[in-house]
Amino acid sequence: METLKTDFVLDAKGLACPMPIVKTKKAMNDLEAGQVVEVQATDKGSKADIKAWAESTGHQYLGTIEEGEVLKHYLRKSSNDEAKTETKHPVVATNEELEKKLQGNESIVVLDVREEAEYAFNHIPNAICIPLGQLEDRFTELDQEAEIFVVCRTGSRSDFAAQKLAQNGFKKVTNVIPGMSGWTGSTTTINN
Amino acid sequence: MSKKVAIIASNGGLFDAYKVFNIATAAAATDQEVAIFFTFEGLNLIHKEANKQLPMPEGKEHFAEGFAKANVPAIPEMVAMAGELGVKMIGCQMTMDVMGLEKEVFVDGIEVGGAVTFLEFANDADVTLTF
Repeated sequence: METLKTDFVLDAKGLACPMPIVKTKKAMNDLEAGQVVEVQATDKGSKADIKAWAESTGHQYLGTIEEGEVLKHYLRKSSNDEAKTETKHPVVATNEELEKKLQGNESIVVLDVREEAEYAFNHIPNAICIPLGQLEDRFTELDQEAEIFVVCRTGSRSDFAAQKLAQNGFKKVTNVIPGMSGWTGSTTTINN
Repeated sequence: MSKKVAIIASNGGLFDAYKVFNIATAAAATDQEVAIFFTFEGLNLIHKEANKQLPMPEGKEHFAEGFAKANVPAIPEMVAMAGELGVKMIGCQMTMDVMGLEKEVFVDGIEVGGAVTFLEFANDADVTLTF
């Protein structure tokens, strides 16, 4: 089984309800906004509980991987800056425009700058995964001449990424708005 | 504004204690404001000595094994956790007077108040529960 890169792994195995939730809450307090936590639990009710907890508290529930008895839940701490809608990169496209290009088999690159665990549970087929925090170290993996469409969840991280790419010699960079939060096209997930 | 959960704990058995503290800690961990009003036998749940050996309902003693197997925390631990999570615990003054109990026999951090103290909190609560 593939392991997903996270900022923190919380061991809540063997604990009964409501302990996995209580421990998750405590762990979340120590994380920075935007960081991802893996919560390992054996409480079968935790799958529904963690999801409901995330919805109530405003954190992002990414998904769950079942490994035998162990449920591995992935959550991303909410960040306020993502609520903003103002973006700075001048070239933007809507989800629909990107979907059309994909359907038309145009030779474009879809760059997904969300965290690895977010990407794992739901991404556009063939999208390249480079989390925003790693982008500057991984420019060489991308072709400066390619037509690159940058996506994230809401269009905020992808805006930062698009600006960075444009500043570093990438010529055809487009920020996709809003991105995966409103994506209705086809996707791929680790949980098939 | 976070949601408010108001709980009345008026029974003193082990099952009652878990019902109260599971809901209370889960709600507090979900960023909800929680207050529990302990009245009559419910005071046992926060009594320093009594809450270490709360009785199972008659005929259900065999569940002790299940509790151990499911790795359920003991009630004093649940109380401490509730306190850490900011759950407000109010002991009923009237019951304490009737039973001749002083605040010192209860766990640290509780408040003592009357029905109105609780009602003031419960007045605009989103959820009110009685156990």
